[in-house]
Amino acid sequence: MAEAVIASSLKLQPPPPELARQPLVSNQRPIGWISDAVAGVAEGKTPKWWWYAFIPSVLMLTMLGAMILYLMSKGVGIWGLGQPIMWGWAIINFVWWIGIGHAGTLISAILFLLRQRWRTAVNRAAEAMTIFAVMCAGIFPLIHIGRIWFGWWLLPLPNANSIWPQFRSPLMWDVFAVSTYFTVSVLFWYMGLIPDLAVMRDRARTKLRKCAYGLFALGWTGSNRHWSNYERAYLILAGLSTPLVLSVHSIVSLDFSVSQLPGWHTTIFPPYFVAGAIFSGFGMVLTLLIPLRKVCKLEDVITVRHVELMCKVTLATGSIVGYAYAMEFFIAWYSGNPYERFTFINRAFGPYGWAYWIMISCNVLTPQFFWFKRIRTNMLIVFILSIFVNIGMWFERFVIVVTSLHREFLPSNWSYYSPTWVDVCTYLGTFGLFFTFFLLFIRFVPLIAIAEVKAVTPQADPHHPLGGAKEGGHP
Amino acid sequence: MSKTIPPSCPEPETGQKYWRSLSHLADTPEFRQWVEREFPSGASELSDPVTRRHFVKIMSASFLLAGFGLSGCRRPEEKILPFGKAPENYIHGAPQFFATAMPTRGSAIPLVVKSNDGRPTKIEGNALHPDSNGASDHYAQASILNVYDPDRAMRFVRNGNIVKREAALDFLGELSKKSQADGGQGLCFLLERSSSPSRARLRKLISDKFPKARWFVYEPVDFDVHRQAASVAFGKSAKPYFKFDEAKAIVSLDCDFIGGEEDAYLHIRRFTKGRKIEKPTDAVNRLYAVEALFTLTGANADHRLRLPSSAVELAVKLLGTKISWQFAPEVGPRQLDDEKASEWISKCAEDLLKNRGRSLVIAGHRQPQSVHLMVHAINAALGNIGKTVVFLDAPEAKEETIADLAQALNSGQVETLVMLGGNPVYNAPADLSWARAQRKAKTIVRLGYYEDETAEFCDWHLPLAHYLESWGDARTADGTLVPVQPLIEPLFGGISELEVLARIGGLEKVKPYDIVRETYGGIAGDGEDNWKRFLHDGFLPGSAAKPVEVQFNANAAATVIGAAKPVAASTKDTLEVVFHRNYKVDDGRYNNNGWLQELPDPITKLVWENVILLSPKTAKDLRLDVRNNENNKLYVPLVRIEFDGREIVGPVWVQPGQADNVVGLALGYGREKTGRVGRGSGYDAYRLRTTKALHFAGGAKLTPTGQTHQLATTQDHGAMEGRPIIREANLEQFQKNPRFARAMDLEKPPVVSPLYSNPLDKLKEKGLHQWGMSIDLNSCVGCSACMLACQSENNVPIVGKDQVTRNREMHWIRIDRYFTGSPEDPQMITQPMLCQHCEAAPCENVCPVNATSHDEEGLNVMTYNRCVGTRYCSNNCPYKVRRFNFFDYNKLPLDKLVGPVYNTPLAHATDGEWDLVRWFKNPDQGFRPADEWELLKLVKNPDVTVRMRGVMEKCSLCLQRIEQAKIAQKVKAGPSGDIKLKESEGTVPQTACQQACPAEAIVFGDVSDAESRVSKLKALERDYTVLDFLLTKPRTTYLARVRNPNPAMPDYQEWPLSTKEFTEQNGNPFEHHEGGHGAGHDEPHASGKPESAGKGAD
Repeated sequence: MAEAVIASSLKLQPPPPELARQPLVSNQRPIGWISDAVAGVAEGKTPKWWWYAFIPSVLMLTMLGAMILYLMSKGVGIWGLGQPIMWGWAIINFVWWIGIGHAGTLISAILFLLRQRWRTAVNRAAEAMTIFAVMCAGIFPLIHIGRIWFGWWLLPLPNANSIWPQFRSPLMWDVFAVSTYFTVSVLFWYMGLIPDLAVMRDRARTKLRKCAYGLFALGWTGSNRHWSNYERAYLILAGLSTPLVLSVHSIVSLDFSVSQLPGWHTTIFPPYFVAGAIFSGFGMVLTLLIPLRKVCKLEDVITVRHVELMCKVTLATGSIVGYAYAMEFFIAWYSGNPYERFTFINRAFGPYGWAYWIMISCNVLTPQFFWFKRIRTNMLIVFILSIFVNIGMWFERFVIVVTSLHREFLPSNWSYYSPTWVDVCTYLGTFGLFFTFFLLFIRFVPLIAIAEVKAVTPQADPHHPLGGAKEGGHP
Repeated sequence: MSKTIPPSCPEPETGQKYWRSLSHLADTPEFRQWVEREFPSGASELSDPVTRRHFVKIMSASFLLAGFGLSGCRRPEEKILPFGKAPENYIHGAPQFFATAMPTRGSAIPLVVKSNDGRPTKIEGNALHPDSNGASDHYAQASILNVYDPDRAMRFVRNGNIVKREAALDFLGELSKKSQADGGQGLCFLLERSSSPSRARLRKLISDKFPKARWFVYEPVDFDVHRQAASVAFGKSAKPYFKFDEAKAIVSLDCDFIGGEEDAYLHIRRFTKGRKIEKPTDAVNRLYAVEALFTLTGANADHRLRLPSSAVELAVKLLGTKISWQFAPEVGPRQLDDEKASEWISKCAEDLLKNRGRSLVIAGHRQPQSVHLMVHAINAALGNIGKTVVFLDAPEAKEETIADLAQALNSGQVETLVMLGGNPVYNAPADLSWARAQRKAKTIVRLGYYEDETAEFCDWHLPLAHYLESWGDARTADGTLVPVQPLIEPLFGGISELEVLARIGGLEKVKPYDIVRETYGGIAGDGEDNWKRFLHDGFLPGSAAKPVEVQFNANAAATVIGAAKPVAASTKDTLEVVFHRNYKVDDGRYNNNGWLQELPDPITKLVWENVILLSPKTAKDLRLDVRNNENNKLYVPLVRIEFDGREIVGPVWVQPGQADNVVGLALGYGREKTGRVGRGSGYDAYRLRTTKALHFAGGAKLTPTGQTHQLATTQDHGAMEGRPIIREANLEQFQKNPRFARAMDLEKPPVVSPLYSNPLDKLKEKGLHQWGMSIDLNSCVGCSACMLACQSENNVPIVGKDQVTRNREMHWIRIDRYFTGSPEDPQMITQPMLCQHCEAAPCENVCPVNATSHDEEGLNVMTYNRCVGTRYCSNNCPYKVRRFNFFDYNKLPLDKLVGPVYNTPLAHATDGEWDLVRWFKNPDQGFRPADEWELLKLVKNPDVTVRMRGVMEKCSLCLQRIEQAKIAQKVKAGPSGDIKLKESEGTVPQTACQQACPAEAIVFGDVSDAESRVSKLKALERDYTVLDFLLTKPRTTYLARVRNPNPAMPDYQEWPLSTKEFTEQNGNPFEHHEGGHGAGHDEPHASGKPESAGKGAD
């Protein structure tokens, strides 16, 4: 069917079947089905699996709250920090979550600008993931400071003493970068949601749902004027978000590269961090969407092709990351600086060598499997490998933060860092936060951009045999 | 501190000075009684058997009232003269300084103590004293904390019940009357050593009155052997006084004169005088050390020979033979069989012979009298006597030992035992079974600073007053008379040794003030001005003991030496145990002092406990798996040491450089009854110590218990990894290449022109001064007095063992210690490390809230109020000198120091009150029990912020002192506008670390003043910057170390081992360069590159 449409409009010979693009929505689903399938996840009776996931998540979120309360009442000493390792799991987790938060905006903004239509099936969930990941990330810089109650001093607020923040400090830049990124991501996500919220409003069966969705749908009617404004705003926001995707992690990387610590003081950090962030972000998207398409029965919308494409991005960024690791070693040798050289040899063969090799195997070796189509199309293996990517990227931050600090200039300071149970529980607690929000998102918001998916399917054409309201019944 | 003449006292000296009420004026007997009883209302409650906590509450409350509401009441009633400021000029809030002295065993340290509103807060040496440079030692610095120790004895106790003070004093009166009647039959005194002339006088008075009374002296670590040996050798009671500064070659025989001997601070001063060089042509002294354990003396030696303590005797004999002394003691069955050691000694002897009259041989207090006598013989043969060692007249002591007392007790001859100080139940030789023996006395009276192990076995226990609370006197090492002036009324009504003696003696004058004054009158004549001058200056000029003419008596010496029994050589199954004075808690007297407990041992860097020291080879032979994983979890095996039928269990520590088959056991730990601080720290080595083996003995057996124990250290990694952090050279290399230190600089990044000018350079123009510091690594011996001086001055909290294992110690200045070379015979080097006050400080630009910034005088300053605690500054500090307050360490209860301090105030209660409520009521007190809080807040320096949790802190170069000096100068300048501090006028302050440093290794001053000492030191060729290539431009620079080894020695090293390590990695920086080259730009390309490339590739 699809071939026929293309052929009739372009008057071209259809490509041979092996070169033909796979449809973005498989199984020739009618257009109404898309609305039903996606909205159905948020409309039907709460499935059991949801409760099985939600209750532990809320418990973990509670644990996060308890850990933060404990931290505030006692001090950061309950973590495993000490001289010279003054940053530990908190900063590692911050950078890790922020990195994860890169995939969503990349998918929705950069791929949008690049006209990658396959993005429509995954962008909504990925963007939600971004927002929740940035929330998880944002917690850590706030709570890791010694006097949490003065955290607002990092904001440039006018005060009687005329004391301003130190604008030369990368931590200051972080404050701006992360908060801007979060704001724009939320706006962008919400923007894209409006037509779908209207769908939900129109499909709602209860008054409460109608009011709630109606409130957030901002009176969307689907008129041409609405669509025209919407498309323009979407494009502007995509344009705004695109540099942010690159800037946030670049600035986070400056936290390290602006310092003069061997292992931190590296000029390749900004591009290397961005690549790593996209790598980990796609890893997390895969981890989330592979089970989700299964339990929500959305295999026809989030197809194997989507997964394959994301695997390719992972392979590309993973290889960039691997190149960066190699480059760091080269530069350490080439610089002739014995301290730099020592840091990198120590990274691989010192007391934290185990962490380094976990990082290398997860980040450099794992994505190499994605060269093979058979692996890319095997959902179970992709799921497992994507988890390795997440682990590897966590260890990358661990290696950067901890192994650089633990043996630096003066050997008298050398030490070893181990986390405490509070570190571990706080980290696990952020998963509670993340999944609580993500599960709520699944239950109350269309997890796939209905309108956008429809727009990129041939069925969206009213003349298409499966198009319009002829079948399916709902808009 | 300039010497100022005290103003004459305007008040009439007779008649009532003050009256507090009409009844006082009337001076009724009731009123006198009221005055006697200090706390009339609270005191009545003391008689009922209440708990200690209740008691403490009352004491604290009373103290609070007395200390603050009526601060004047705590001032001593007798007239004491402030140092430099008259009492009538007292300004609230302005500190006053009083001269006093800290009595030590046979000596004293002259001090000037700072008093803030009537409470002593900081101890400093008295620079006016003829034998002092104003320095002090770590014990003196820390002793101030003992005044405010919440666990000190605070009550008069009879048989476990609290009694009134008067009852105890009445008892002493009765004892006096009784002794009067029977001439002191059965009256025995057990004393500690003291140099106090007043005590000697009282003792004589009592002896005259009660001729049958017996006197015993016991010191677990006794330095009197120096006097005893000299008395035998020269036939008159004399004390050696060592002039290390006069000696060109010094041989130390198991004598840790830099660390564990008495008056080490004096020795350091004199020794380092011979190591201060400015030009390559300057002469340097040479130190040879023969020792079993690795000590600070060995660490600073140019040549070190490790021998078991028992073999030192053989070494001395050999040394004596080699210098051909006129003395032929029998050669015993045991010979120094090690060829290398024999050669070492022969070559050492040659050097001594070259330096006749300018050499010095000394033996340590652990060595038997025979060794000391041989040393005197050697010094006599070398013509050193009267030149590098003089003998000062010392009063002969006629006292018996603790063994005699035990015998007397066991035979029932002791009716009343009066113990003044000491803690024999804990530290008496184990074979005396002291606790049991002591109980055989009918009545035991004890004056003690703590209710410790001994207190349990006493009938009467009286609280001893601290030396800062009581009048006394003492003689310093050179014999100069010094006053011990109180700065505060006894906090808990403690009484002094002198008062107890006077009361027992039934003397008319029982007030220590009167006693001391009378003694002084006897020595220097009476007279008010004279006395005031004495108190003001803190010493009596010209009272130093005169050196006596001595003639070595070879016959007397030979008799003693002949009688000495040699100790058999030790093997791994019959190890030699060596009991040594602990560098931190001494013989156990400072066990409850948190500052000393947390002071890292200068050699092992361990804190909070003692260890069983073994050499690496012995540990290997014994198959002990001592892992040091450098992972913060320092688990070592617990082993059992069996010796002479007794045993102890303790953790093992492998000490590089220790003699093989020797076990080092530090005294002073493992106390059964101590305070909250010392509780549970270490093992008790006294349990193995017997009268036969007081210092060392062979025949111990070591067996692992299979358990492990966690230790806490402040420095895990002891190797410098070939990095040019401490730079050193041998004297010849220094002479050939005076700029050797700079030659070791790493290549600096080629900064052609900076992108933007450093805003601080503009700021500098505004500054009146530019502060900087120079640290001479050639003088620094690692004594750590600076660490405690800083702790005391800057309110640095202690954190406890658990927190040290997590690397959270708070010392603003630390002593980095590195070993180089083989584990058997390593070289050790030390480096004080503190905030370097970088001009381009990496910490400053990363702080997001501007909490650390630069001032125009070049200080890197911390604004504690502004700090939110991101800790980024610490991560970016290459020297890692910033300290973070992870918990509220200043508010941490002492009993929480031992373990994890993880209980949250949300779910915890102190003194039966919810912590949150306590915090709400008094946020400052935190979760400290009331008794601790009321006392420990008093030790704080009011001029320095007490930092809270979550705040970064670091060395400020004693900013408070700088500001005080500036304010004083401004006041002085008045309209003249001359507000610049000038070193030539003596207005530049000293930092606390500098002030305490006996070696004068730390020099602070104005680097913009070309004439200042610091500027001159920085201009020396040895001056270098640590981590220079980072271009942080620190204001603190170091003077490289110059060793002076003897090329003839078998263990001669052409290079200092650390320099050797450096050249192996980076190429020889001296090869291609003659004379003035700067940063050494091309070395890495010359010889270093190929090798480093190979290394980088793997």
